[in-house]
Amino acid sequence: MSAFEKPQIIAHIQKGLNYTVFDCKWVPCSAKFVTMGNFARGTGVIQLYEIQHGDLKLLREIEKAKPIKCGTFGATSLQQRYLATGDFAGNLHIWNLEAPEIPVYSVKGHKEIINAIDGVGGLGIGEGAPEIVTGSRDGTVKVWDPRQKDDPVANMEPVQGENRRDCWTVAFGNAYNQEERVVCAGYDNGDIKLFDLRNMSLRWETNIKNGVCSLEFDRKDISMNKLVATSLEGKFHVFDMRTQHPTKGFASVSEKAHKSTVWQVRHLPQNRELFLTAGGAGGLHLWKYEYPIQRSKKDSEGVEMGVAGSVSLLQNVTLSTQPISSLDWSPDKRGLCICSSFDQMVRVLIVTKLHKI
Amino acid sequence: MPLQVSDYSWQQTKVAVFISVPLRGVCVRDADVFCTENYLKVNCPPFLFEVFLYAPIDDESSKAKIGNDAIVFTLYKKEAAMWETLSMSGVDKETMQRIREKSILQAQERAKEATEAKAAARREDQKYALNVMMKIEEEERKKIEDMKENERIKATKELEAWKEHQRKAEEQKRIQREEKLHQQEKQIEEERKKLKHKSLTRNSAPRNLATKGRSSENIFFDKLKEDSIPAPRSVGSIKVNFTPRVFPTALRESQVAEEEEWLRKQAEARRAMNTDIPELSDLKEEEKNPEWLKDKGNKLFATENYLAAINAYNLAIRLNNKIPVLYLNRAACHLKLKNLHKAIEDSSKAYRIMKLHLRLIHPTKLYKMMLRRFGI
Repeated sequence: MSAFEKPQIIAHIQKGLNYTVFDCKWVPCSAKFVTMGNFARGTGVIQLYEIQHGDLKLLREIEKAKPIKCGTFGATSLQQRYLATGDFAGNLHIWNLEAPEIPVYSVKGHKEIINAIDGVGGLGIGEGAPEIVTGSRDGTVKVWDPRQKDDPVANMEPVQGENRRDCWTVAFGNAYNQEERVVCAGYDNGDIKLFDLRNMSLRWETNIKNGVCSLEFDRKDISMNKLVATSLEGKFHVFDMRTQHPTKGFASVSEKAHKSTVWQVRHLPQNRELFLTAGGAGGLHLWKYEYPIQRSKKDSEGVEMGVAGSVSLLQNVTLSTQPISSLDWSPDKRGLCICSSFDQMVRVLIVTKLHKI
Repeated sequence: MPLQVSDYSWQQTKVAVFISVPLRGVCVRDADVFCTENYLKVNCPPFLFEVFLYAPIDDESSKAKIGNDAIVFTLYKKEAAMWETLSMSGVDKETMQRIREKSILQAQERAKEATEAKAAARREDQKYALNVMMKIEEEERKKIEDMKENERIKATKELEAWKEHQRKAEEQKRIQREEKLHQQEKQIEEERKKLKHKSLTRNSAPRNLATKGRSSENIFFDKLKEDSIPAPRSVGSIKVNFTPRVFPTALRESQVAEEEEWLRKQAEARRAMNTDIPELSDLKEEEKNPEWLKDKGNKLFATENYLAAINAYNLAIRLNNKIPVLYLNRAACHLKLKNLHKAIEDSSKAYRIMKLHLRLIHPTKLYKMMLRRFGI
């Protein structure tokens, strides 16, 4: 592809903030997004911005007692659009952004900071009960239902007396009907564990030799297709989740990029073969996954095993000198995405020519 | 001594002087012609011809034709006048010398000026070329910037248009919802009226029925909504085992080698402490390792063989008495055997060693003496 046919990543709007921003998410069905972080005085903040005429307008600023690490809109309905956040003290809150004084749901879920949060079942995507999963530094992964107070509906915790490892990332997947659901968790010692919520069991685990920074299924609401896991040391792995071998697990292909920690991976909502990775040197890489000729083959004993495809780099751009900690594609407009980085900037990016790929 | 050429001939017109100097076997390479305003010299070894001109000439446009055993000069006069003689009259040696020197200086100056002019001209050219290059690059850059700007403007317009579209959709939905609500209310009113008519005789019932009617309507709607979302999941828990890792930091491939090295050194340091006790010479190599003995003791403890576990720990402590874990485990064994005093002693010992390790207490002289004397 010549240089002019490749998709271009253009920084549309850049805004400097006066606080450390940890996460940014689009508000579904609108041109607004929220950023979450903490002020230097140690309190948490949620800001709501709208894109107006090529610039960002701050609509609302909400300050809370504890710094906020992560948030998701994944478990709310399209009418309500409540934001679920995890904070530094281990509390899970669900906020109505129109009336943010009292949370709609609140629980002290973990003893330590909630590192990652994900939601499924809301926004008209997927089927089944809306649920939120949180992963924390205390090594536990808990699944919450906003209708059930105080207790998680599923708890993945270390065996009594075992040394705990920090959980750095969580992701929902396989939610293609009302019963099936799967949670994937990544830990700082390189473990990736896949929990099946219907059977309440561990379905698969592996270790990728580097702490796992970010996990995402290419789609939450279909039968598991691909899982991308990014890690320290600039590596990421793409697992083909359609065929599970009893001993070898899932087939994967790995790629080294960024020369530093790969902080986030996000799949394009409109095309599940494209994903964007954000690196510790402030760069963004746009990748395309190509399927192999045959997705599964028989090994020497005649048991089915998966075949991983290949990944090719479409475009890369360096936006800042500090790590880009979070990314989010807009579910409504193809190519529009926001990213936030540790230089206290939030950027709105446009990726062009994605419809031609 | 060069030979002076004196058999030259000359003619003149109003504006020019023609000199013909015969030189046998002269060619362009040999003849060195030096000409200034007042002085003309030809040095063609072994011949030398010089003439101090009567009046100044324009030496830049004058010509010399060399060849055919002679040189023919065409000198253009500065002033159009007829010369009486070719050379100046009454020149003595000194004047000649002076004129020669002046001429040389003049020539040098002119040469310098010429080079300077050339250098200046070259610099000008280079600057011009650079400017042109910069302009071309600037244009290219501007073209790319314009393209990017266009994309941005296009994207912004699309975004605004989409927002408008969204807003209109919202408006429409709102209007629809209001209409539906309105209709529902009308329906409820009608139902109520019907009920009222029906139960005119029964006075107590109508209000209840009416409210019941309305609430049943609502329950009906709510139930519909809830049916599509399943009930919360039944609570479950999954126990997780992690890949073991000694260090509390995250795992990095590039650090693995260093970490292994550190662990190996730690293990060696622990092993190398007390290995020179005589009666242990008949033990196997691994039985001298306090770590191995500790593991053995743990296994025996797990199988409830407490006395054997205590033996293992005793040997390990004899080898290395600075590991608090050994004392702790031995204390646990004593506890199980109900040797409470011994349990207290071992636990205290372990506690003191741990505190020492954390530098919470200092091994002062007094402390060390008491340790030796009283074995605390």
